[in-house]
Amino acid sequence: MPSVLILYLVAALGVEPAKVDFSQDIQPIFKKHCFACHCETSSKNGLRLDLKTHALAGGESGKVIIPGNANASILFRNIAALPNARAMPPKGVRLSSKEIELIKTWINQGAKWPDDGSEKSNPLAWWSLQPLTQHPAPLANSSWINNPIDSFILAKLQQKQLAPSPLASKQTLIRRLYFNILGLPPKPQDVDAFLNDTRSNAYELLVDRLLASPNYGERWARHWLDAVHFGETHGYDKDKLRLNAWPYRDYVIRSLNSDKPYGRFVAEQIAGDILYPGNPEAIQALGFIASGPWDFIGHAEVPESKIDGRVARHLDRDDMISNTSNTFLSLTVQCAQCHNHKFDPITQADYYSMQAVFSALDRADKPYHADPLIAEQFVKLQSQINATEKQIQTLEANLPGKKELAELDAQIKKLQQPAQGKNPAFGYHSAISNNQSVNKWVGVELKDAANIDKIVLHACHDEFNNIGAGFGFPVRYKVEISDDSSFKNAVILNLSDADKDQVNPGLTPVVIPAGNKKARYIRLVATKLAPRQNDYILAVAEIEVLDAKGKNLALNCLVSSLDSTEAPIRWAKNNLTDGIWFEPLGPSAKQILELQEKRKSLYATLVPESERQKLSRLQSQLAEFNKQLSSQPKPQMVYAGTVHSGAGAFTGTGANNGKPRAVHILQRGNIEKPLDPVSPGAISSLLHSPSRFTFNENEPEGSRRVALANWITHHDNPLVWRSIVNRVWRWHFGKGIVDTPNDFGKMGKLPSHPELLDWLAADFRDNGQSIKRLHHLILTSATYMQSSAIDPNMDIKDSDNIYYWRMNRKKLEAEAIRDSVLKVSGKLDSSMYGPSFQDFIIEKPEHSPHYQYHLHNPDDPKTFRRAVYRFLVRSQQQPFMTTLDCADPSLLVDKRNETLSALQALALLNNGFMLVQAKAFAQRIEKEFPKPDQVEQAFYLALGRKPTPIELTNLHAFVSKVSLADLARVLFNLNEFSFID
Amino acid sequence: MLWQSGGGLGGIALSSLLDNNLAANSLINSSTGGLAGLPHHPPKAKRVVQLFMAGAASHIDLFDYKPELIKRHGQNSDFGEKVEAFQNGLGPWLKPIWDFKPYGKSGKMLSDTVSPLGAVVDDITFVHNVVGKTGIHSQSTYLQATGFQNPGFPGMGCWVSYGLGSLNQNLPTFVVLPDHRGFASNGPKNWDSAFLPSQHQGTMLKPGAPNPIEDLFPAPQGNFISPSSEAASFDILGKLNQLHLNLRQGDGRLDARIRSYELAARMQLAAPDAMDISKEPKHILSLYGLDHGKQSFDKEINAIEEIDYFSRKCLVARRLLERGVRFVQIWSGCDNGFPRRNWDSHEDVERDHGPLAMGMARGSAALILDLKQRGLLDDTIILWTTEFGRMPSSQGGKGRDHNPYCFTNWMCGGGIKGGVSYGPSDEFGFKPLDRKNPTQVYDIHATILHLLGIDHTKLSVRNNGIDRRLTDVHGHLIDDIIA
Repeated sequence: MPSVLILYLVAALGVEPAKVDFSQDIQPIFKKHCFACHCETSSKNGLRLDLKTHALAGGESGKVIIPGNANASILFRNIAALPNARAMPPKGVRLSSKEIELIKTWINQGAKWPDDGSEKSNPLAWWSLQPLTQHPAPLANSSWINNPIDSFILAKLQQKQLAPSPLASKQTLIRRLYFNILGLPPKPQDVDAFLNDTRSNAYELLVDRLLASPNYGERWARHWLDAVHFGETHGYDKDKLRLNAWPYRDYVIRSLNSDKPYGRFVAEQIAGDILYPGNPEAIQALGFIASGPWDFIGHAEVPESKIDGRVARHLDRDDMISNTSNTFLSLTVQCAQCHNHKFDPITQADYYSMQAVFSALDRADKPYHADPLIAEQFVKLQSQINATEKQIQTLEANLPGKKELAELDAQIKKLQQPAQGKNPAFGYHSAISNNQSVNKWVGVELKDAANIDKIVLHACHDEFNNIGAGFGFPVRYKVEISDDSSFKNAVILNLSDADKDQVNPGLTPVVIPAGNKKARYIRLVATKLAPRQNDYILAVAEIEVLDAKGKNLALNCLVSSLDSTEAPIRWAKNNLTDGIWFEPLGPSAKQILELQEKRKSLYATLVPESERQKLSRLQSQLAEFNKQLSSQPKPQMVYAGTVHSGAGAFTGTGANNGKPRAVHILQRGNIEKPLDPVSPGAISSLLHSPSRFTFNENEPEGSRRVALANWITHHDNPLVWRSIVNRVWRWHFGKGIVDTPNDFGKMGKLPSHPELLDWLAADFRDNGQSIKRLHHLILTSATYMQSSAIDPNMDIKDSDNIYYWRMNRKKLEAEAIRDSVLKVSGKLDSSMYGPSFQDFIIEKPEHSPHYQYHLHNPDDPKTFRRAVYRFLVRSQQQPFMTTLDCADPSLLVDKRNETLSALQALALLNNGFMLVQAKAFAQRIEKEFPKPDQVEQAFYLALGRKPTPIELTNLHAFVSKVSLADLARVLFNLNEFSFID
Repeated sequence: MLWQSGGGLGGIALSSLLDNNLAANSLINSSTGGLAGLPHHPPKAKRVVQLFMAGAASHIDLFDYKPELIKRHGQNSDFGEKVEAFQNGLGPWLKPIWDFKPYGKSGKMLSDTVSPLGAVVDDITFVHNVVGKTGIHSQSTYLQATGFQNPGFPGMGCWVSYGLGSLNQNLPTFVVLPDHRGFASNGPKNWDSAFLPSQHQGTMLKPGAPNPIEDLFPAPQGNFISPSSEAASFDILGKLNQLHLNLRQGDGRLDARIRSYELAARMQLAAPDAMDISKEPKHILSLYGLDHGKQSFDKEINAIEEIDYFSRKCLVARRLLERGVRFVQIWSGCDNGFPRRNWDSHEDVERDHGPLAMGMARGSAALILDLKQRGLLDDTIILWTTEFGRMPSSQGGKGRDHNPYCFTNWMCGGGIKGGVSYGPSDEFGFKPLDRKNPTQVYDIHATILHLLGIDHTKLSVRNNGIDRRLTDVHGHLIDDIIA
């Protein structure tokens, strides 16, 4: 007790209190009272008091410790249970007054929290956050060493008392290289040529030849597409197709084949449109931002004004930044959505700052020009238009009489707005027909028979297939009225027009006089349906049946029809008589004309001649630019991250000039609990460059992405370079130096060879960031060229081959198996690029498309292209490829699962694709080789080597009993077909 | 007695060698292919049947009796708070479409349209205060199926397969019987293995199809294959693979792949047999309502047809469970198309729910009785679920809008109490009566895993930096419903 008294006294006297020591005085208090709820295992309200960075960063409601100001620190206010504070701890023993005073003093003295050097107290000391240091390769005197990679590997092997395996045979090496670089098997001629090539650099020449092949980009693009979860449907419910996603895939193939420097490759995918204007590849690259799944319903049917709509958009940005940080930085920033990252120094504020970078964007088709010259012209015209518009604006802003003119303009503009927006109740919609000349009808039954003056038909308005006004209105039709429901004695009202094609009325009502005839049943019979996409329909918004007084007798009357697509709210039979249709322009054109005339005369009197001339010159210039622009070829589309201008619930930020949505830190990730707004930024524990980006308010959204791209590709950012060299290494060896390529944080694995990783990263960064150069270095290393045979003596010490005492035998991926089967059967269509092939039939595209793989004909040569060109559906993945462990396009796949199962055996044995190709392979053998050679040559084609005598004997015995197609099927199913030594 | 064909334990251990996520084989239980160290505690149940009503089944028209709605039928609804409806679902109060009557010793009130469940109501626990997170089908279906709202997470059956492995040697561990008319929201992603090894994904079974399991038999293009060439092919594959393996000792994957072909051959025999209900005796067919004698059905949705569809799946499920399949998922309802064939009754609850519920009730009641008479109900859990409930108000007509704020699950067998109604909803079935303590899907999942002998906090897999669990960071055992 005395000591407490003394403390109080000292404080009261204004004398500096004794220095409080964190480890001695404060840490034990935290441990005793706070850790139960605020540590690694439980971090209530996102607050942890066991780690310095976390504690100082605070919790969900912000900082809790303000160094130097205890009274402003929530931590102190709470433990002291000050007014309006939340007394802490909420349950159990409260802190003693001595403990409270110690904490107060500690905070007032600056909340000094020493780093004790351990990772726990200083997460910034984590290996992956350290700057790259280029350790020199260890000096080792060994003839085994081909290049510095081997020096690092050998040093470690020796340290672990391991030794490298012998050089693999040339036979093995050529097959290994072909699959590794191209994903395809070598032809027997290629094998022969290589085996007979006695030049000392034959291997290196082969490496270079293969790296120069366009097939290289196809193989390696697939690796990249795994990482960025590229898919071509949205996923979720109503899994619609993205028919313009493929340009991004082509972009990746082209970038790899042209060996684009990695920094540029990264930057283009985040901000290519701004960094490299006019370059089509830089637009296609933005497909990266949109590559992942997208909640169609959550965007297209739920607006941002609803909670569910905001949740969908929040999750959408979450996907964008997860993709960005996992792919380029190997950090799992997504773990900081609800609280500061539990293991890595990533704060919740970092997470939302990254969201703010992308907050103007949505996923949508973005136009671009593939021809760079046209693209350049396009950009030039666009900027001329912008400049001229700006000049006009400036000029107009300073005109005398601008106020009066502006008032008139506003009036005119208001009158030009449609009177009524789009009511969701569109109308009646028939079932879809494949045949335009099928008759379809829809009719109204009045409550009683009545005298009818006229019938008015209102067409629908639906943006589907860009049809808009007049959607579904029949090309040829009859309007019939009748006394009886069977229409036996029907009168056709539009007799003279009934057998002629009619001009689509758009939104103009179609009036059909009825001559005051009496009837109870009215129906519209379409004899030639309206075209929709590749099919035909009948749709009508409203049928009005008017009596002589103009009263609509049909309102809310019973509707019947041959068939109907009932999709309320929009489409329903009852919508035909609901009194709702899409209204065209409301006010009379006359009124607008009058106002325009008034404006003209006002303009002439108020604005001096010189100004008028200037303005009219600018306006004719603008018209000329616009004319030129519209005469340019139509742009192509890529599904990309872009500022979207849409209708309905999915409006995007386009209407707001692409102004980014405000992003707040969300308490526990809850959209209904926004805390402080954040500025765009990145991860604050990386110190190479400021992690919060500052802009003036009017800066376009693209500046945010440029800032992030620059931050990521910064020379001194250690993660980006380590990340890519580790990925490339893993794709070659089947195992990474860090074997969690998407996570270099504490939940990831540690590097097996940290010095080698840094050496490779720095060497890569400083030598043109050339991925092909990196390939060459790895592929020509003695490490890579080792045999994959397992030496039991080494296996005992390092069964997982962590230290690379041998090469890893690799199981081929789904794509490599499929491509090889096609190559070997002789059916591979090697054409590159363009829209993806679809190996499914789509049913019910109008609602949730059903992707029916089993209805597709496996004999269809359109599907004989390489698997990288396969159309990737999210909700229903291709069963054959999925069984063979292809990547799931909804997941960020840094390494694929590798499994073996009975279902895989069944797929390779029995799938239609495999059987079609077995037959094709048999035909090829039959055609190309004389009978005695067929077995041997088939084997050589499939496996890249000739069979041994015992294999040959067995195969001959087999073939004598079965067909060549059976032989082909067996060869495709051999272990050796799927595994590469 | 569980039925199994021969083949030795070799087949089962397959997955143990094949999983590159598990650093060492010692992590695997070699007899089941599940994880070593599991179960964490003695299990009460070994098997699970999950019945999933796609489109969102109406709790208040089936299981959760609300007399207050009868009293206020037609009056303007008033929720006492701002409610965001998915469509226009805040019309007048709408009373339950069917009458309710008490059943069993427990006197549980059930709607006429699920009356067959009355016979087993004393075996069932109803949980009436389940809450979802959104009123969007896709996210909510994911949530109930995988524990997460977004794609990329394994289904519950995948987790169970991954943790506990297989009880048999020639059939998949986790089998899915989708609605034959099409997939529900998210399609096969609901039973996808995501980051778990692919042998744990749900294997789709289509009883009656030429290939009831994908690629079980050669596609029609394999017309060159004869029984003798098939046998010779299997034979030479084995021989050549063995020669290849002899030169590559030490790589377990090569051996495992040889055995995967043996397992495939066994599956070709076992799977059709498991699905063949033609040999079931008459009294069993009649128990399931499959003795209707009809060859074709009316065009409009009708109860007999729905009983036929759902009961067939239930009967196949029983046969699969007997043969050691661990997890069977049965779906009722396809995606949102027209005519409507799912539970998303925005327009007319009576039209859709009537036949669908009768089919579901008849089939599931028969399954419960059938399992019970074979002694299998004791260690088989049946879980009935849906993505969310429906509003106590109408949409102006005969339909109800989405209600993610409250809905019903029911469970029975495998260590679940019988005749219990747990966690009441409020007087309208709008939200849980005790809003602070609702039941979440995590609690249901945690409880089921617990009954299977799994501590839900311990069954985790690291993926992209996070130790992922079926129950995310949530989940409490519902002690009150465990027997």
